[in-house]
Amino acid sequence: MANVLGKVKDFFGGLFKRKERVSADAGERNNWKAWLYLAPVIILLAIFTFYPLINTVVIAFLKNYNYTTGLSDGFTFDNFLNVLTLAGRTTTQETIYRWNTTYDAVTKTYTGIDSDGIACTVYFQTDVIKYALPNTMLITFITVPASIVIALLISVCLHSIKAFQKIFQTIFFVPYVTNAIAVGMVFAVLFDSKGILNYIFNLGDSFFWIDRAAPWSHGMIALCIYIVWHSLPYKILIFLSALQNIDKQYYDAAKIDCAGKFKTFMNVTVPMLSPQILYIMITSFIGSFKEYTSVVGLFGSPSTDGGSTKNMYTIVYYIYDCIKQPDTVARGAAAALLLFIIIMIFTAIQFQVSKKRVHY
Amino acid sequence: MEIRLKNLTKCFPGNPKKGIPDTYAVNALDITVPDGKLVGLLGPSGCGKSTTLYMIAGLLEPSEGEIWFGDEDVTDLEPEKRGIGLVFQNYALYPHMTVYKNVAFPLTNLRIEEKMLDENGNQLLDEDGKPAVKRRKLTKDEIDKIVRETARVVQIEQFLERKPNQLSGGQQQRVAIARALVKKPKVLLLDEPLSNLDARLRLQTREEIRRIQQSTGITTVFVTHDQEEAMSISDEIVVMKLGVEQQRGVPQEVYNNPCNKFVANFLGTPPINLFKGKIKGNKVYVGDQVVRDITEKDVPDQDCTVGIRPEGIIVDPNGTFDFECGRILTMGRDIMLMSKHPEALSDTKFLIDAFVQVEVGNVKCTVKPHKCFAFSLEGDELRII
Repeated sequence: MANVLGKVKDFFGGLFKRKERVSADAGERNNWKAWLYLAPVIILLAIFTFYPLINTVVIAFLKNYNYTTGLSDGFTFDNFLNVLTLAGRTTTQETIYRWNTTYDAVTKTYTGIDSDGIACTVYFQTDVIKYALPNTMLITFITVPASIVIALLISVCLHSIKAFQKIFQTIFFVPYVTNAIAVGMVFAVLFDSKGILNYIFNLGDSFFWIDRAAPWSHGMIALCIYIVWHSLPYKILIFLSALQNIDKQYYDAAKIDCAGKFKTFMNVTVPMLSPQILYIMITSFIGSFKEYTSVVGLFGSPSTDGGSTKNMYTIVYYIYDCIKQPDTVARGAAAALLLFIIIMIFTAIQFQVSKKRVHY
Repeated sequence: MEIRLKNLTKCFPGNPKKGIPDTYAVNALDITVPDGKLVGLLGPSGCGKSTTLYMIAGLLEPSEGEIWFGDEDVTDLEPEKRGIGLVFQNYALYPHMTVYKNVAFPLTNLRIEEKMLDENGNQLLDEDGKPAVKRRKLTKDEIDKIVRETARVVQIEQFLERKPNQLSGGQQQRVAIARALVKKPKVLLLDEPLSNLDARLRLQTREEIRRIQQSTGITTVFVTHDQEEAMSISDEIVVMKLGVEQQRGVPQEVYNNPCNKFVANFLGTPPINLFKGKIKGNKVYVGDQVVRDITEKDVPDQDCTVGIRPEGIIVDPNGTFDFECGRILTMGRDIMLMSKHPEALSDTKFLIDAFVQVEVGNVKCTVKPHKCFAFSLEGDELRII
């Protein structure tokens, strides 16, 4: 027993000694040098990344925050409530508590007492709940899987052709280096009611995709097509380089094993590409939760109906709208924080799912 | 299933503009692999043996010639339709599948033909009056049964739930063999299957291959550069050089009667000792020493290369052949004499029984006539005697 205890003691003693030695020799003496070398990037990161990050979190909890003056009335959860339910223009520029309100269905207003005990009225404009969140989710769950599948198919096709492979690779990569707004303008021409798309499909010039008269669904279809097209090149690039690294022998083996083309694709190509698919999936999930430029590029405004509703809102578009006005900055910060939480949850889910399905 | 290769040629085109000539990886190969036999394709690297194997498998397209499986010309047939099993050099096991799934994978692709019967168990006929046949996939239970049976044959039952990277080289190799065997192929092809294994495992595994081949009776073609490996398990070996077949036959026969200098030099460890020599008056000379009388036939006088197998000497004070022994290596069962000879084309090595007393310095010996060959200096350096 004593022997065992002694051994344990030796073991921990050894650990301790080793640590001591390291810090005494290399660690302590050179630490400041390491920090010095890292200083430029750390200072820049601190000013332009870490401070804004932390500040966003703080601002999200501030009441009546005004970014021009930097003043606020203490901490509150109102910003989050505003984002989630009562995100509209209030008559008194004040917020009221949700549970104190009465709803008037005719004027679509809420009347109630705010936190200071003053009566006020609020327009019930659930831009986030009604448009931004569903739109963002829809965009994500349509464009991410669609673009991954299409990118996979294109890269497999590209990989299998021998002639003109380089030229095709270049052609497919061009959208990646093209400005989103410029592409949006081209798409706007394509999807115009007098545009080429209506001409080809013979839809007449009263079929609207992205004009003011376009219904939400048409606008969404155009938007998704645009996003998928614009996100393909990067995915193709990643998949193609990964495909080139797969040992050709696996395909020979699959051939000998009588696997058909589709079965080979599902049983050899996809599992072999699974690390890249996971990487693409996570980055494009995050990317499409942050979709904004595509809406601006295609519609120029968050609506297809002339601004009476914000039916093309996305979460980030909402955040941008919020930070345009000094008095809604805190609401934007709260929305950003909520978006961050949503992305975290989805990324965590993907990692969980991928544990079984990704083969390194 | 007999495999016949007729005039099989694989040519990789060169670039005439840049002056790169066409490369013939395999040149006019004619081989017949008898049904149920194990044939080893043997040769140094780059001799076209793997190319030949891949052409038999259908993964490479022959430039010329035909491949026949029994009565069927399979030259233009897709690999999946040839009914072959192939074990790759580095096994090519699907790394993301368990051993079980790896072995079951070929079965999931298989369609079996089943006779259609009516309720009374009578054969149904199709429109042409032939027995009606239904093609169907194997059921899960059938696959499970076959996988476990095959796993038992190659002794991997305890690894079925593991991934290939959790197995040793030898175990992986058996999984690869199981995957090749599981669909009951007519032909089994093995591409340097032992090259990744250590010496002991190699010995064990080659016995295993022999055992599996004999128990299943599948016609097997086996590619290797290791002559010991090929000779020890093959029913027949084919020695190749630069895409051309040199000699074919039962291993011992090829070793005993090499048809040219290349085959004699390639087979045997340590390799055969080669000397500059000549034939004069039906006697073979190395320098001015007679190493062998020619009794079989009359051979005209000429210069030649003389080959003496390392085990081909008997130490004899009255011998007609002598050499300078520089060092004696004790090998246990034998001793090896590392020697020099003025006429030798390289350092010479001789093996003699360990109980024979020899000393460093000049050693006199007689040469066993059946271990001594003479090769022509011209053309393919064919054997004279």
